[in-house]
Amino acid sequence: MSVVTVQLGQCGNQVGQQLLHSLLCDAQEGQRKELCTASRERFFHQDTHGELVARAVLIDMEPKVINQSISRAARSGMWRYGETSHFSQKQGSGNNWANGFCVHGPAHREVVEELVRREVERCDRLSGLLAMMSVAGGTGSGVGTYVTQCLRDVYPKSFILNHLTWPYGTGEVIVQNYNSVLTLAHLYQLSDAILVHENDTVHQICSQLLNIKHISFADVNSVIAHQLGSVLQPALTADSQGAYSRNPLGELVSALCCHPEFKLLSVSSIPQVPLASMAYSSFSWPSLLKHLRQMLISNTKMEEGIDWQVRPLAAAERSRNLTAGSFNTSLANVLILRGKDVYSTETAGFEDPALYSSWLSPQEAFSVWKSPVPFNKYEKSATLVSNSQALLRPLDSMVGGAWNMFASRAYIHQYTKFGISEEDFLDSFSSLEQVISSYKELR
Amino acid sequence: MQRSAAAVSVEVKQVIAALCRLLAATGLECVPAPEHFRRAKFGGGPAVEDQFWQVLANIQQKCGFVSCEPRSQLGGATELRRLVAAGLWQTGYHADWMYERGGGEGGEGGRFSSKDLLLALGWLLATGTLEKLLTQRVEQLDKTLILTPSPVNHRLPTELPLDSASVRRLQWLVGSLRHQGRTLLSMQEERTCLLHAVSVASLPSSVSPSSSDQSSTLLRKDCVCLQQLCDLLEAYLNWRQVEKVFWTWMDSVVDGHLTDPVHKKPTIAPNGRAARCHHGNCGLEKLDDMLLRQPTTQQGQGTVREAPEGRGEGGLLQGRSDSCLPPLSCPPRLPCCPLAYRLQTERPVRHSSPPADGDRGGTPTAGELSASQAVELLLQTEALLLERRGRQRLANRTQLQEMIGRLDELVLIPP
Repeated sequence: MSVVTVQLGQCGNQVGQQLLHSLLCDAQEGQRKELCTASRERFFHQDTHGELVARAVLIDMEPKVINQSISRAARSGMWRYGETSHFSQKQGSGNNWANGFCVHGPAHREVVEELVRREVERCDRLSGLLAMMSVAGGTGSGVGTYVTQCLRDVYPKSFILNHLTWPYGTGEVIVQNYNSVLTLAHLYQLSDAILVHENDTVHQICSQLLNIKHISFADVNSVIAHQLGSVLQPALTADSQGAYSRNPLGELVSALCCHPEFKLLSVSSIPQVPLASMAYSSFSWPSLLKHLRQMLISNTKMEEGIDWQVRPLAAAERSRNLTAGSFNTSLANVLILRGKDVYSTETAGFEDPALYSSWLSPQEAFSVWKSPVPFNKYEKSATLVSNSQALLRPLDSMVGGAWNMFASRAYIHQYTKFGISEEDFLDSFSSLEQVISSYKELR
Repeated sequence: MQRSAAAVSVEVKQVIAALCRLLAATGLECVPAPEHFRRAKFGGGPAVEDQFWQVLANIQQKCGFVSCEPRSQLGGATELRRLVAAGLWQTGYHADWMYERGGGEGGEGGRFSSKDLLLALGWLLATGTLEKLLTQRVEQLDKTLILTPSPVNHRLPTELPLDSASVRRLQWLVGSLRHQGRTLLSMQEERTCLLHAVSVASLPSSVSPSSSDQSSTLLRKDCVCLQQLCDLLEAYLNWRQVEKVFWTWMDSVVDGHLTDPVHKKPTIAPNGRAARCHHGNCGLEKLDDMLLRQPTTQQGQGTVREAPEGRGEGGLLQGRSDSCLPPLSCPPRLPCCPLAYRLQTERPVRHSSPPADGDRGGTPTAGELSASQAVELLLQTEALLLERRGRQRLANRTQLQEMIGRLDELVLIPP
């Protein structure tokens, strides 16, 4: 059962390449035949020479990044991309969502659909499609949204998970908030789940936890790939009956995103330490899970600076105290444990009803996936994928920023000239306001 | 349009053969041969009758019209026939022989014949029994079919919780079900692919019996089932294409049955009601009631028409006359009145398209009246009504005169 990765735009192509690389490196380490087979089947297929070829499609409007990704994969000597499974053009989308969505996307629809169809037909069973992109630029966000829409049309019964990279709050692109709002509002209707990594958070992890002095995109991407990989690498789930789960996207979506108003997922991992100090560190499951739980409820994205004062409120208190402050209520969580002694690990701390909304019991809202195989050189590691209020604040500021610009009609003509009207903007604003209010009222 | 009789009969025979194949494919054990159908049409004798008794019993047992298995409690042919009659009655079929002792066995002097059984079979086919049998068989054979579970009658609480939390919870559960459905679909797709791969791999090299293990036995069983399923569906398709011919032929059986000289008017059923279809005939029943009421209203109108003699007090007059004249409240009921109109209402049905296309109420149950009999009856009724009208008129007049007599100052010259 396989996942077809669709890498869109500069960011999507870089993160995608890094993800596939770290998944394969991890799977091939040591004697892990079972996991290795499952992981390979999930993300790669073998060509006639026995070489591993990624089940991936690369799409960008500029050739540069695609060429880089392809050659980097080939240089690894472990795997490569399919020779014809990429598509690029000479001219980018100019950081304009409308240009990608209204012009580039429709112009190349047939080619892209054909590329994806070929990869899908190569799978014995399609677990789902993983579309990776950023929301700030033009190609990843605009073309990415358009391609997701096409995929939804062509594969109405397949799971589609969008992995989004959110831009730095300080700004990479002047119209990034416009692009983000338009992307998110559209994807909310199309995708089954939207897994988000914020550049700001990942940057902090690089600087504070991994002690990287000059942080490059490669560093950021490898942190994202590590977190995402620990979610997507095969694990034993409640439904998989003692074998590695064959339906990763389906199970993830079914565990976290059954409600159409709540589709935003955030990821946090523990531990994350520099490679050099790994040999001197030792971790215990209770301490790791205690930290991870506090990270969840206090909405801290990394191990450092956890606010230990935040406590879950009892149901009665919650209803009285409507402005519950900094407590992060979850709708649903998936905890993924990898490494030594996973089977004897106690996860009761995450089954506390006070962590969840009143209308979903912890049994329905919480699931654990386990794998006795360590991930990415960490003897023990825990990753939490959470559908919670964690992304409320950045989303709110994103929509707020876009609204402020929209109020003064700044740069709107750049969008209207490609066919995105002010009404389209207003629709997107209102649908995201609905999302924000749904998450705000989650208790 | 005009075809030679021989060609038609050959075609009919083929069509009946298609029906027989279909019936056999649905898993019925004793299906009469096509030839038996023809012989049944012309009153084929005990051997043919027996065939039809068996097949009727078999159908009813498969469809669950009769709860107990006739054969296990077979107290002889009579018991079987009674059960068949009871089963037919439950499906809404009516015929005279069903009410006779022994379900027509050794019927009184040739009143019952294999034609009746043929008609009963036609009724069952026309009312959807064939489709029921087909569905049952397909469910048996097709193991991949996801059976729609019989709707569970969940008792919803009278006051549904409609607060936002419950609604959200429901939305979550619906989403969860949708995801499960998708996962199941993709599993089914994968299984289909694998099955295809297995069948392709096993086709060229015929597996030797020595190497056949359990899985290949299972596969072979599946194969047999699939083959049967294909045969069944093919038989059904063939039948659907030629069905019309069969129903036309059935029409001729019905016509023959109606014009049969030995056929008698239906007797009254044991419960005292006029024998007719037990259910599925609401329209006819309504019409029956309406027509039964008809004479009453006519008489009512008649009374009003008489009233102009005392225009202002017509209402009063009418009320009084109703109360003082008892015979008016019970209209003269003709013994065969319902049958007389049934003669009219059923005629068009009989020559319409086959029942499978629409109206399936074409039961050959109606009693018949010859035109001369009907005229006679109507004349009698008319005479009776006229006589009553005369009496009524007289009574009204007397009453009017009495009233006028009470009004002292007024002198009226009676008309």
